[in-house]
Amino acid sequence: MSKLRRREALWFYLFASPWIIGFVVFLLGPMIASIYISLTDWDSFTPPKWVGLQNYTRLLTDDPVFWKALWNTFYYAAISVPLGLVIGLWLANLLNKQVRARKLFRTLIYLPTLVPLVATAMIFKMVLAPSGPLNDALGLFGIPGPSWLLEAAWVKPALILLSVWGAGGATVLLLAAMKGIPRELYEAAEVDGASPIRQFWSITVPQLTPIIFFNLIMGLIGAFQVFSQVYILTKGGPNNASQTMVPLLFDQAFSFYKMGYASAVSWLLFLVILVFTLLAFRTARRWVFYETEVK
Amino acid sequence: MATALSAATPARERSTTKERVVGVFRASPFSYATLILVSAVLCVPLVFVVSIALSSDQTVNANTFTILPREFHWENLTRVFGTDLPMQRFLLNSVIISAGAVLGQMLSSGLVGYAFARLRAPGKNALFIVVIATMMIPSQITMIPQFILFKDLGWVNTYLPLIVPNFFSNAFNVFLVRQFVSRLPSEIDEAAMVDGLGFFGIYRRIMLPMLAPVLIAIGIFTLTATWGDFMGPLIYLNDESKMPLALGVQYITSTSQALQSPPWNLVMVGSILLTLPMILVYYLGQRYLYEMDISGGSAGVK
Repeated sequence: MSKLRRREALWFYLFASPWIIGFVVFLLGPMIASIYISLTDWDSFTPPKWVGLQNYTRLLTDDPVFWKALWNTFYYAAISVPLGLVIGLWLANLLNKQVRARKLFRTLIYLPTLVPLVATAMIFKMVLAPSGPLNDALGLFGIPGPSWLLEAAWVKPALILLSVWGAGGATVLLLAAMKGIPRELYEAAEVDGASPIRQFWSITVPQLTPIIFFNLIMGLIGAFQVFSQVYILTKGGPNNASQTMVPLLFDQAFSFYKMGYASAVSWLLFLVILVFTLLAFRTARRWVFYETEVK
Repeated sequence: MATALSAATPARERSTTKERVVGVFRASPFSYATLILVSAVLCVPLVFVVSIALSSDQTVNANTFTILPREFHWENLTRVFGTDLPMQRFLLNSVIISAGAVLGQMLSSGLVGYAFARLRAPGKNALFIVVIATMMIPSQITMIPQFILFKDLGWVNTYLPLIVPNFFSNAFNVFLVRQFVSRLPSEIDEAAMVDGLGFFGIYRRIMLPMLAPVLIAIGIFTLTATWGDFMGPLIYLNDESKMPLALGVQYITSTSQALQSPPWNLVMVGSILLTLPMILVYYLGQRYLYEMDISGGSAGVK
């Protein structure tokens, strides 16, 4: 290697050192430690006790709350993510028409996504109260509203409702992508006599699949890690009906000081996210359409 | 992150309005009715927040809120800064933590991203694969060991665990800067080198000014993430006097006496204070987010 090249390499490692050090100290080291901790019984005060795979086997075979949390997390992700996408797409399609005051509508729809999650949770605590505005609205139609956050049957729909409130984030992204769809495609379809609905399904949706896929992946990863809403609104209750994986992990670690058990939960969470992300990428080949393919 | 990504779009849209390519469909009265209804429903919670924030203490205790404000206790807006709530302390804590985090990410991401985009070194490509791979790891994996680490360092109940890691950048930001630099013509650095500038000189004098849009965008992402962060402060901060707004506001509601309902009017003033900077950042920031052209970055998801 020439002297200049060696100097360049040296500067590379110097410039990249913040990330490299951060990677070792805050990621690689902790990951290895996390594997070790997950194989121990440890309260973080007294020395850890090696228990092998016991945490994992207990989680999977002898902990009904874990299975409930896992099921609730699936349930939440499986409904809130597609629902958010469908509503986002529907609103984006409405805004993509020649609408007067489109900017105003777009801002109003986007506004909820700017509210930090903690504030959102506070707001929904009031909105979902037994005598709150949601139940008032239901009352107008003669429907007696439930105590959303206190009834096992309604607490998950309540959390999903909260997530749908932020569907405007997807709307803005999808709207921008819609504007990028070549107009000629629609003109050609119009000449062929395709109805607006047909054009939506045959042109708009296929053209948007890359961005839909991006939203799907990000949404899934986010939904599997849902924490603040659950922690603030329900603490997982009633009777663990809204318990999900991260609040469970948090409680095990920082309320009960079961660091080993909580670390095992974190690895199972990683596994779940990994499996679903890989599944999404595998199916993507069948339905995600990239512009480069037509060029 | 999704929020920040979508913040990028309005400015981009503006640039195409000249052509008026807004789609081929006219909006029917039905579309308008739907849009008005949806917007109204989405805004009800926000109006309700304002209504609660302006309510009297009696209304709070009787729990008789109305969606539209009926009473206007503007003094609630200043009461939170007095003896009723230590809101000024929460706000100051939020500013300290967010400013530290933003500074850390902007300083480190630029350097690291530039190195990955321009400098040649053995092992660089393998290292970049590692950068990308780390984006997949959920933060919960490292949460407990990091807590132990900071506890052993004696940093628990200080701002440090929430600020210091930001000085080591993160994969997403490194990736953003690298994409951005890759699109700049490399003749610029070559010319600077011929003129006798060293690598740091090139970065400091030539690159840094050009990186402004992407670094500001990173600052916005970081601010959005830290300002509203709840779990981090919940893990590391115990003293009310050290809590940022996001945690402090929640803390007030969860520590109220059993017989007495939380001061919802003041809590909602806090929620509004928590939200306003995000709205401000969104409006001031969209220009930079647009310049950065996030579409190039998201192409990596393919």
